[in-house]
Amino acid sequence: MLRSYLKLAWKVLLRRKFFTFASLFGVAFTLLVLTVATALLDNVFAPHPPETRSARTLGLYGLAMLNGQSGVIGNPGWAFIDRYMRDLPGAEKVAVLQQTRKVDSYVGGQKVSSWLKRTNGAFWQVLDFDFVEGQPYTEDDERQARPVAVINETTRERFFGNGPAIGRLIEVDGQRFRVVGVVRDVSFLRVTPFADVWVPISTARSDAYRREYVAQFTALVLADPSRFDALRAEFASRLASAKPPDPKAHFAGALESYFAYTSRSMFSPRQEAAHPAMLGSALAFLALLFMLLPAINLVNLNLSRILERSGEVGVRKAFGASSRTLIGQFVVENLVLAFLGGALGFVLSSVALLIINRWGPIPYAQLTLNLRVFLWGLLLAAAFGLLSGIYPAWRMSRLHPIEALRGRSW
Amino acid sequence: MIRLEDVSKTYRTDRIETRALDGIRLNVDKGEFVAVMGPSGCGKTTLLNLMGLLDVPSKGRVVLDDRPVDTRRDRELSRLRNEKVGFIFQSFHLVPDLTVLDNVEIPLLYRAITGKERRRMALAALDRVGLSSRVHHFPTQLSGGQQQRVAVARALVGRPQLLLADEPTGNLDSTMGEEILGLLASANGEGTTVVMVTHDPRMAEHAHRIVRLFDGRQVQ
Repeated sequence: MLRSYLKLAWKVLLRRKFFTFASLFGVAFTLLVLTVATALLDNVFAPHPPETRSARTLGLYGLAMLNGQSGVIGNPGWAFIDRYMRDLPGAEKVAVLQQTRKVDSYVGGQKVSSWLKRTNGAFWQVLDFDFVEGQPYTEDDERQARPVAVINETTRERFFGNGPAIGRLIEVDGQRFRVVGVVRDVSFLRVTPFADVWVPISTARSDAYRREYVAQFTALVLADPSRFDALRAEFASRLASAKPPDPKAHFAGALESYFAYTSRSMFSPRQEAAHPAMLGSALAFLALLFMLLPAINLVNLNLSRILERSGEVGVRKAFGASSRTLIGQFVVENLVLAFLGGALGFVLSSVALLIINRWGPIPYAQLTLNLRVFLWGLLLAAAFGLLSGIYPAWRMSRLHPIEALRGRSW
Repeated sequence: MIRLEDVSKTYRTDRIETRALDGIRLNVDKGEFVAVMGPSGCGKTTLLNLMGLLDVPSKGRVVLDDRPVDTRRDRELSRLRNEKVGFIFQSFHLVPDLTVLDNVEIPLLYRAITGKERRRMALAALDRVGLSSRVHHFPTQLSGGQQQRVAVARALVGRPQLLLADEPTGNLDSTMGEEILGLLASANGEGTTVVMVTHDPRMAEHAHRIVRLFDGRQVQ
């Protein structure tokens, strides 16, 4: 029977080309957007290289210095990190990194723009970069303010062609650095590690950063997850007793994951209340809302399509189809449609991600199809297909055969 | 074969009650060819629907093969229709999305028959109505006469004991009408009981017996 249903579904879909196209497009396009959006989120938040140790890392990404209704909201400054985060109990390493900024260089008279990030030596131990040449600079290099740099593959190609780069000099932001390591390109979407060129913080031309409490730094604490609660508690207690330059002000911030920080920044910009689950809920809600649109569209299409076929329902009933058999037939038709749409969506998603990676606006994008999300999307599409088919099929199956033969729909 | 015992059928809407059939007593024997005649609205089609188990009487009972059909369960009625009854409609009622062959296979889909056997039986039925060369056509690609021949093949493919034809020649010219009637007579000759509703006295002449209805009552 199932084989007959499948055969019949295939024939009906082939015969009703416009309906088939509209339904397939609805399902495939929804899955395409869902998978591309997920790939972007995955590339921002999921533990991909060099952030493979994210499960063992807590970050201080945002910091606010508040005084009543006014205050400064931003990222932690060097002075804050240096004073309150250096010797946190249980912390194996503390990476300190400045926000990436765009700087210009000249290569053979041509202007080349690069993204520069200043970090401490522990940065290379907390993050897991893939070195293709040389090695990272060390904590000693940072202490001694040695003018050394790690560059990515694209920068190596821009400055030195295809030859090796180790030991050669590179001029960025008006300073000269000796290249000590070359790493694989990191996606622009990996906000914390992303750059073209990494150099020690201490090589900055001014030491004004050393006095700032709220500035443009991030601190990453590497620790065993079992110590996270103790770490957070200790940090919160230090934060409470910290003395900002303005004696009436207090600090607000938390040790957390990048996802939790993003969520809190969106829903509590003053960095006070923690809402790590809200971003997840908001994203899930948006995804559901986005899936609901094609579902309603599919229900509508199915309703009119099945109503059109009341004559067929009458004939089938006259020749022995029971209501249950008819529901089965229409539901199989819808499932076939949903799965075909899913297959098309898979192909379209793969092509879209390939295009974004190769030619899209995101530097060094490494978007990958998240199979789990795709399968969930497909399951959802099938569920909607099922629901959108069951209701009209059920109504039609209850139709009296004589009424159905007369072409009456309800 | 089929017996209607004091059968009445009343249709009710919110305000109006229409009695379509009133106290019909009719017995159709195995192998008979019965024509049902009468003016429009006299209850001919209602009678056929009751005999074909597409509808249930408001009063009285239908006895099929000496067993009263007293169930109203959808699955049971569907099974009886599938096994014992074949229908031919005035407006053919072929499924436009399906080929001729697929249309003829419809009654067999609801039986435990393999796809191969189904196809063999459908091809044989189409051969019998002279449409072997049109099996992969769609209904809209056929003439009215050809479409009705497909409908006859569909009605006969499951070898029903009772063939019910509701004005099968009503939409056809006289030549085509004769052809269809020939097919019905041939099925009857092989033992199938035929009940045919018709307006046309010349068509009714082919039947063994004519039942006349007037205002829902049997007058002859």
